[in-house]
Amino acid sequence: MPITKAITGNGALAEAMRQINPDVVPAFPITPSTQVIEEFAQFVANGEVDTEMITVESEHSAMSACLGASVAGGRVMTATSSCGLALMWEMLYVAASMRQPIVLSLVNRALTGPINIHCDHGESMGARDAGWIQIYAENNQEAYDNLIMASSIAEHGDVRLPLMVCMDGFIISHAVETMQVEDDEQVRDFVGEHTPVHSLLDTDNPVSWGALDLQNYYIEHKRGQMAAIENAPAVIADVSQRFGQAFGRSYELFESYRLEDADRVIVAINSIAGEIKEAVDTLREQGEKVGLLKIRVFRPFPYEEIRDALRNARVVTVLDRSTSMGAYGPLFAEIRTALYDLEERPLVYDRVFGLGGRELFPEDIVEIFAESRRYLEEGKVEKVFDILGVRGD
Amino acid sequence: MTDKYKLKTWQELPLGGVITEGGNAADYETGTWRTARPVWCSEHCIHCLNCWVFCPEEAYKLSDGQTRSGKPRKEICEIDYYHCKGCGLCVAECPVNKKGDAVAIEFVHEES
Repeated sequence: MPITKAITGNGALAEAMRQINPDVVPAFPITPSTQVIEEFAQFVANGEVDTEMITVESEHSAMSACLGASVAGGRVMTATSSCGLALMWEMLYVAASMRQPIVLSLVNRALTGPINIHCDHGESMGARDAGWIQIYAENNQEAYDNLIMASSIAEHGDVRLPLMVCMDGFIISHAVETMQVEDDEQVRDFVGEHTPVHSLLDTDNPVSWGALDLQNYYIEHKRGQMAAIENAPAVIADVSQRFGQAFGRSYELFESYRLEDADRVIVAINSIAGEIKEAVDTLREQGEKVGLLKIRVFRPFPYEEIRDALRNARVVTVLDRSTSMGAYGPLFAEIRTALYDLEERPLVYDRVFGLGGRELFPEDIVEIFAESRRYLEEGKVEKVFDILGVRGD
Repeated sequence: MTDKYKLKTWQELPLGGVITEGGNAADYETGTWRTARPVWCSEHCIHCLNCWVFCPEEAYKLSDGQTRSGKPRKEICEIDYYHCKGCGLCVAECPVNKKGDAVAIEFVHEES
């Protein structure tokens, strides 16, 4: 039976992992994702799952073990944050190029330094070019739902790529919210059986994985990988629709919140979307045409769909919760690229916020909309790039 | 070698670069690496098979033969120059060469 439960974001991810019952979970704990593995380890100890849990000595080893278990034919999951993902870096690329459908729960946290344990999206944005599918979640319900959909997307024959489900550290991972936990059997039916492809344990058909690939083939292999991730949006849409039919919550590549007639739009990722929705509702009551476009799938990036969704907007404010030193924020770069092909482009500008977990309150969102109103009236953007809430001019 | 090694398009490649055929190192022509070539001299060879043991490319080929007293044994019969990369290990490890009275494996510069 589905139940409504008060649960933390990390607890929701552990719950989904229990229901999926993966074959192998190699993991190394790191704040704020520790609790995912901690709770899952209890499920293993209690015999509630059949998973082989491997406690490794680092995240580099965790992702290496994921890779080994995956090429051996297992369904593999793990979780990490921040510097843990950074230590996996080398293996992230290997997993993607070897087309292993490993599923990673990423609880977003700022990268060191200075050392910090709180939320921003620096690590996942840094990993955006690794070849993994990235799906973001606003709250614990979405994180849970995305994780349940993850295996079906990653393991799909047209895709076969690793996938990370991203959720905000502490803000969501450690906050208790009520959400719906679906029935175990129904989740297992939805996720289905894992079918290994070229398994190393299939000794009747021996294979070699991870061979050297030089000037004569590297680019062809990369092209194949590109084709796989290009296939992902259709598969994500299909799995999301099937999820909606099974559990009643439907998802698109991104969420459009009061967007249809909005002339000023904020584009953002993850938990901040909750506060933006609140601010949008407040301003809508006052007759302002504002809206939100919340990114769900960042890789592959749905350029055309987002361009169409923002076609009628006149001012677009992009909120980047990470920074690319010496460049505009990563989300802004994508959004502005998406909008370039429009004949009549909206004004678009970038605001970096929330680095290292700095809060942004609903009244701050209202202020952001006040600025975008000014730009709409003046017909131009005063500052293309700025950092919100930083002390000093 | 054959069409098997004709460069493929990206659509023709197996998933994730997996190699589905075992033992395909044998198809790789390491003979092109050679700058010097070992030449086997059957009249001096004592068929101790040291060269066969030390050769990293399995370039020494064996045939069935017999000892002077008629016992069956394996004998060196030729060098496979498709794979011999001219490392010279066989030349260095040959006990006939070491003794110095004769040369069972000669090392000569590869004609370019």
